[in-house]
Amino acid sequence: MFAYLVRRLFLMLVTLFGISVVIFFLLRIVPGNIVDILFAAAGYVDPADKASLEKELGIDQPLVVQYWHWISGFLRGDFGYSYVSEKPALQEILPRIPITARLAGLALLFSASIGIPLGVISAVKQGTRLDYALRVVSLSGLSLPSFWLGLLILTASVAMFGQMPIFNPNPATWLEAFATYAVPAAAVGFRSAALTMRITRSSMLEVLRQDYIRTARAKGASDAAVNYQHALKNAILPVITVIGIEAAFLIGGLIVTETVFNIPGVARFLVEAIRWRDYPIVQNLVMLIAIVVVSANFIVDMLYAVFDPRIRFTD
Amino acid sequence: MTAIDYDVELRRAGAYAPGGWRRVLFLAQRHVLGAAGLVIMTLFVFTAVFADFIARYDPLTIDAARALGRPSLSHWMGTDSFGRDVFSRIIHGARISLAVGIGSTALGGTIGVIVGLTSGYLSGWVDLVFQRVSDVLQALPLLVLALIMTAALGPSLPNVIIAIAIPLIPTVSRVIRANTLALRELPFIEAAKSIGMSEVRIALRHVLPNTLAPLIVLATAQLGSTILTEASLSFLGLGIPEPYPSWGRMLSESAAEYVRTAPWLVIFPGIAISLAVFGANLFGDALRDILDPRQRG
Amino acid sequence: MRSVRALAATAALSLLAFSTITLAGEPKQGGILRMYHRDSPGNASIHEGATYSLNVPFMPVFNNLVIYKQDVAQNSMDTIVPELAESWAWVNDNKTLTFKLRAGVKWHDGKPFTSADVKCTFDMLMGKSQQKFRQNPRKSWYEQVNDVSTNGDLEVSFNLKRPQPSLLALLASGYTPVYPCHVSPGDMRTHPIGTGPFKFVEFKANESIKLTRNPDYWRKGRPYLDGIEFTIIPNRSTAILAFVAGKFDMTFPTEVSIPLLKDVKSQAPNAVCVVEPNNVATNIIVNSSAPPFDNIDIRRAMALSLDRKAFISIMFEGQGDVGGTMEPAPAGLWAMPKEMLESIPGYGPDITANREQAKKLMQKAGYGPDKHLAVKVSTRNIPVYRDPAVILIDQLKSIYIDGELDVVETANWFPKIARKDYMLGLNLTGNAVDDPDQSFYENYSCGSERNYTNYCNKEIEKLFDVQSQETDLNKRKKLVWDIDKKLQEDVARPIIFHARTGSCWQPYVKGVTVMSNSSYNGYRYEDVWMDK
Repeated sequence: MFAYLVRRLFLMLVTLFGISVVIFFLLRIVPGNIVDILFAAAGYVDPADKASLEKELGIDQPLVVQYWHWISGFLRGDFGYSYVSEKPALQEILPRIPITARLAGLALLFSASIGIPLGVISAVKQGTRLDYALRVVSLSGLSLPSFWLGLLILTASVAMFGQMPIFNPNPATWLEAFATYAVPAAAVGFRSAALTMRITRSSMLEVLRQDYIRTARAKGASDAAVNYQHALKNAILPVITVIGIEAAFLIGGLIVTETVFNIPGVARFLVEAIRWRDYPIVQNLVMLIAIVVVSANFIVDMLYAVFDPRIRFTD
Repeated sequence: MTAIDYDVELRRAGAYAPGGWRRVLFLAQRHVLGAAGLVIMTLFVFTAVFADFIARYDPLTIDAARALGRPSLSHWMGTDSFGRDVFSRIIHGARISLAVGIGSTALGGTIGVIVGLTSGYLSGWVDLVFQRVSDVLQALPLLVLALIMTAALGPSLPNVIIAIAIPLIPTVSRVIRANTLALRELPFIEAAKSIGMSEVRIALRHVLPNTLAPLIVLATAQLGSTILTEASLSFLGLGIPEPYPSWGRMLSESAAEYVRTAPWLVIFPGIAISLAVFGANLFGDALRDILDPRQRG
Repeated sequence: MRSVRALAATAALSLLAFSTITLAGEPKQGGILRMYHRDSPGNASIHEGATYSLNVPFMPVFNNLVIYKQDVAQNSMDTIVPELAESWAWVNDNKTLTFKLRAGVKWHDGKPFTSADVKCTFDMLMGKSQQKFRQNPRKSWYEQVNDVSTNGDLEVSFNLKRPQPSLLALLASGYTPVYPCHVSPGDMRTHPIGTGPFKFVEFKANESIKLTRNPDYWRKGRPYLDGIEFTIIPNRSTAILAFVAGKFDMTFPTEVSIPLLKDVKSQAPNAVCVVEPNNVATNIIVNSSAPPFDNIDIRRAMALSLDRKAFISIMFEGQGDVGGTMEPAPAGLWAMPKEMLESIPGYGPDITANREQAKKLMQKAGYGPDKHLAVKVSTRNIPVYRDPAVILIDQLKSIYIDGELDVVETANWFPKIARKDYMLGLNLTGNAVDDPDQSFYENYSCGSERNYTNYCNKEIEKLFDVQSQETDLNKRKKLVWDIDKKLQEDVARPIIFHARTGSCWQPYVKGVTVMSNSSYNGYRYEDVWMDK
């Protein structure tokens, strides 16, 4: 077990190193840099000004030197300065994380609280009309583009209530804070609720077919007891895994939702930073996201290893 | 393995003659939703292939006099701000969505299969390297990766296909690798080895065909999400450029301005995307049920 | 009977007069004006940028020497008023412009404002000082200035190489604030210090910009507002929805498109909306250094194929203007008369005849119905660029040209143009002031950094100088018309249309004037107040 843990930890570091290399060079392949953009905004190009600016920002140095500069800084916790705002990158990134985290958390909550019960119902009532209806609803949830849904929600709320949920950085009350996040979270969460429901359903069905459930039934346990006490408990592990994976997958949905609802979170910020070729922001932010994703996967793997003895401690 | 399972099902249902229309009919009854998905997908493919005959106007021709017309008998879905017929654009847009969907799934799938097969079959350091690369790709959010890729390659149809295909590779290669690993242990592969079949031949003749079922399941499941990814990229301004009628582009920033003055510009392309993805998902679900009984629900 | 009627009329009139007085009311102090901003400007330094995304939020922080009167829509020499200067005079055969400065003005950090600050600012703009701007897009404005000299703390003179009446117009632009000597250009980008009616509070990229009232403002009783808050919303439809829902007091100025304007009017009928030209010309940059557009016949054919009315009808539902380089009348001061404009090839009203002529030119160059010319139209990936490019491609079809859209990301646009890696480019040119010196030198003079096509015609360049020195306004106008016509006939950078855009605010917002011949100069906001 211990050897397995060490091995996994080592592989995790290798992966993170790989990500840092990939993101660093990928960004450099993208044509144009911050200086080009600054000059586009100024409406002229002056080669001398351009060269001096590139020198000032250090993007005239060899790539290997730049990479070393960045990664050694990152390891020390020195994220450098944003090319655009000229403020410390950390100071730009940190305040935006809670906004996106709250949104993602609420979306996951939404996803779990709707997806799991509906998935269980669908599995228990397998083959009935209710099951079909729920499956169609969940599939359509997976089919709607979330930015389209967001736009329709915004338009409808203005048309019907003359009001719209728009981000309020300093909500006065707890309720207002909830309102700020709830609608966009629901727009993202709808899609992941559909996914959660599907996984719950198939996971439940698999468990319901297992021998020990049949045994429980044969022993005369009530349907409800079997379904909820025995089956759900065992079906939940894969569901939790999927919700964990969803957290990473959610980023994509968050990017468009933060755009539509104008939420100044970290997901939209990342897109803006890519557009501005703001290397310090993009590199460090992607690394932070990658660390979260990789550690989540690691923890899930460890949980599995602990809870499910069938898993062999190999790779 | 899978085929046997079929026959059991068929016999159980009283359909003694496997094959032919009865079988199709049986499957359609057994998987109503899947059949509906198949119908939608067929319609979608049909539309894409015969777009030139179905569309009533050229999707690119601009006519100021017709701009922003409401849906009418001559323009079933109205016209956009350039006076282009929305119905014709949606019909032609099916072609682009299909090209992106099939193109990127096929590209990602093919590379994924090659990587997965090599990785699972050769093991050792090749496997280790491939595994780490796919770890890396999977830890990066898909849309972010696609965003950077399109920014790097420039917005055009082939580039969008490539950008969407690359994040697919690890997903596919993982599944294929796992299957290959499992198959390698099976007696018939051992047998093939013992009679002196070459490794490459074993991989292609015996391992590959047996990973086909999960591959098909995965590919159909991915088809819908590639269409959605293209739409999201277009929405963020990085998809397929104007004037080509990509559904995502039709919904992007400039069209959204008309959400209330000309709602047909926003509603119809949105429905088109949702319907195509919905069809692909329904069909994919049913395929999974049929081909991959372990996951059946 | 007659007297009764007269009485009634008087009563009605006085009632009307009375009600307008109560309606207009006395300006009220207080309130924070909430506005959305269309995008996140890169930094906060007006001198280092060339977009009004900078001017709108940061012009209220500064003062100029002189400024266009903020409550008159049409900028002209007659509407220039003193600001940090108290008065000005042309001396030395119109070769020296001297300003007497206002006494007792303080920077937002408490330091006194003096003539040294003025000298610092303009020395830096001319590239003569130790400290340098990271970028200096309007250096060419001061080509004719020899130096800036001070005489005591309260007098400053611009010494010119030759007379240039337009210099005053350039100094009155929102692009020409006076910067403090004691703050580095780098600090000005992140935390600008000015003398203006509002103090900078914070700028969060992609999120918000906040300004607060300057209690020590030199103009007593101003500003009326307690502050201005800009929320950055790049998605236009979201922004308009928020305005309609009452989340904002004002839209970003001149950023409401005509279709959105209709939407606003139907959803928020009380909102006050104006539509004004913004002196932004949509034009085609032609690469005449490489085939196929090195052939003047093909250039002319392209110019002849344009149906400008169709562009305007699609982009602005008819609310746009056709003109040459200078902004069309009545808003523009320097526009050619209509007959003169229509005599330019491609501007005539008979599109079919124009296109027949264009086809003949194309045939002469070896193209025809069986042999089309394939052309790439490059443009930036922004709707206001992309949409006209799509229309252009469609129109070129009529003269055997198959156009393909080449969408370029902002980062790659100027490098691509500079490399001459394009055939046709669809471009937008905004003019800071409605003045021929500004637009001619910047866009058409040999070697100018913003002359993207490298069009260079020494004869015309001489004419630029002649008009620039002319002090008689009517004579100068005639010269300007001739130059403008010649530029169009040379297909130097064919102008397709001049845009008009909308601005809206809630009915309780008072004292806003949207300029009609520039979108860079009208944002001091010290006279704006809210009747709440």
